[in-house]
Amino acid sequence: MITEFFRLASQNVLHRKLRSILAVLGVLIGIMAVVMLISFGLSLRGLMTGQISKVFGVDTFMIVDQDVFSGRGHGGAVKEYALDLETLQGVEGVKSVAAVRQRTAFVQGGANVEGKVQQGFFPVLGLSPELETEFAAFTGDLVFEEGGREIEDTDVEVAVIRRELADRLAVRVGDTVLIAGEKSNEIQAKVIGILAASEEEEEDQGFAMGASASSSDTIYIPYAAMDRLWPEGNDFLVTLARVLPGYDVDDVADRAETVLKAEGSRVSAVTSGDITSVIDEFMTYINIFLAGLAGISLLVGGVGVMNTMFTSVLERTKDIGVMKAVGAKNRHILAIFLIESGLIGLLGGLIGTLLGLGAAGLVCWLINTFANLPQGVAFPFVASPVLIVTTLLGAFALGAVSGLWPARRAARMPVVDALRYE
Amino acid sequence: MSLLDLKGITKEYPLGPTTVHALRGLDVSIDKGEIVAIMGPSGSGKSTLMHILGALDVPTEGVAALEGTDLQSLREDELVTLRGRKVGFVFQTFNLIQTLTAQQNVELPMTFLGVRKGDRAERARALLVKVGLAERVKHRPNELSGGERQRVAIARALANDPEILLADEPTGNLDSETGAAILALLKGLCRDEGKTMILITHDPDAAAIADRIVRLRDGRVVEEVRHDH
Ligand SMILES: Nc1ncnc2c1ncn2[C@@H]1O[C@H](COP(=O)(O)OP(=O)(O)OP(=O)(O)O)[C@@H](O)[C@H]1O
Ligand SMILES: [Mg+2]
Repeated sequence: MITEFFRLASQNVLHRKLRSILAVLGVLIGIMAVVMLISFGLSLRGLMTGQISKVFGVDTFMIVDQDVFSGRGHGGAVKEYALDLETLQGVEGVKSVAAVRQRTAFVQGGANVEGKVQQGFFPVLGLSPELETEFAAFTGDLVFEEGGREIEDTDVEVAVIRRELADRLAVRVGDTVLIAGEKSNEIQAKVIGILAASEEEEEDQGFAMGASASSSDTIYIPYAAMDRLWPEGNDFLVTLARVLPGYDVDDVADRAETVLKAEGSRVSAVTSGDITSVIDEFMTYINIFLAGLAGISLLVGGVGVMNTMFTSVLERTKDIGVMKAVGAKNRHILAIFLIESGLIGLLGGLIGTLLGLGAAGLVCWLINTFANLPQGVAFPFVASPVLIVTTLLGAFALGAVSGLWPARRAARMPVVDALRYE
Repeated sequence: MSLLDLKGITKEYPLGPTTVHALRGLDVSIDKGEIVAIMGPSGSGKSTLMHILGALDVPTEGVAALEGTDLQSLREDELVTLRGRKVGFVFQTFNLIQTLTAQQNVELPMTFLGVRKGDRAERARALLVKVGLAERVKHRPNELSGGERQRVAIARALANDPEILLADEPTGNLDSETGAAILALLKGLCRDEGKTMILITHDPDAAAIADRIVRLRDGRVVEEVRHDH
């Protein structure tokens, strides 16, 4: 019986094409906007969590200044903090740690063509060798000029600089630079690698350099050298820790934070879960906003469907009378009209979803193709099955609910009145 | 016991401050297998009477009984089911569903009674053959002539094999030749299958097929004439 009702309803939809199209259009526009915005939101989330999971494994957490992550204090700006790396290494469950420390130091290079010795104050980043070995994704791919190499485990008095700084200090691979730390600490660091001047700006040099707001004149030295120049470790920028297998990363992170805070470090331990939940919270606000937007446009679409259905009921008053005369019960009539309005909603939902997904895909493609995104960063196009199914069901429900009032009017129409209707 | 028994029927419609008395105390009884013509001037209450006979409407006063069942004692749903099974309607304006084919129109009463799809289709086609429309099964109403439409409507009225056919001016919108053919078809069906028919008409030729003519005026029966063929 129900299939017959679907046929009756769909034939009615097809019979009044223009009117149906207009009602469908009303629903379609709202659905399309919603699907597009939500899909794009999902892309955005996918992009962010993708980037995070690249840097963070499921077994990694990060120690940052306590105000960075909370957004308090310096508006989330990166800030140095004091840390005892030994303590962190000693926390139960921690497998390995790697740190980035930052200072500004007096640096002396070679002599230029005029024989003048080049020198100045430059930012120095001390990098744990584990950064390369254990947290390779964190630093990203470094592109060296020929003859250059990365800092290795056993290196102490070495430095890696960028092409721009190499020019300023008038040094080549194999030359030494003098780096002066606190008191009279100083090292003669051998330049073992020069990073190629990159066209892609700084982003592809990885997160560590991005986080330190590193500029073209940053000097990278081993952590051991940093320790020798500034024995007091109150200049940590970021510290990464990997947990042992079998340990829960959130537990270990909490434990580490407690231990470090007890020692007076103003730090917080952040896991990928923490960051994702911040993103999710942010996405929730966006989604609430979208829901409001959706609500309004769907209301408009619903009113359109309702209007169409009232017209349809009026127009088919005589048919309603005839159907009742030949044995249709009130609920049969109700069902026929609810299905009809539901179909209008569903049709709008179907086309709207397709167009919305298409639009979101197009936006992703446009951004990925034409926007100057960092290498390896791309908006993933997300066609969420949950979103699609929910939208389609919602669209059918929207249509049916909008048709409820007109359909009830049709169902309750006295058969004799309907038959006498001209 | 008569098939249909109406006693003391009145029907009033409130219309603003006044009341329209469509039927003013009317007794009719109709036996199984009879063909009864109801005649009378416009506004005399013929259609109103038909609605009550066909369980489409209830009287304001009086008792309408179908096979001894008081129609007023039934719930709306029961009334609908009873009507679907026992009564077939043929209207002056055919009243086919425009979006459905001839066959689908004929299937409709069976659909509402829950007849299975295969059985429905088979019976609908058989009925269309019976009314002479074997070639028009897939046509929609607007692809049919007036006479053909009325044949579809008759097939639809027969769908649930009802005991009673109620025809309200079935030839009113047809030329006399086509009308005569429709009347012949209706009469043949009643005689062959023993159906009871109540035929509302202005046309004396139409009334001529009836066993009995009931004349109404101002909501009352003013004359009953029995025909012997
Ligand atoms: N819903 C209604 N409200 C008010 N008056 C009504 C209603 N239905 C019928 N009437 C009145 O009842 C009377 C009988 O109407 P009915 O339709 O039964 O006449 P009829 O004999 O079938 O006329 P016709 O030959 O023109 O079809 C008429 O005066 C009509 O105006
Ligand atoms: Mg009438």
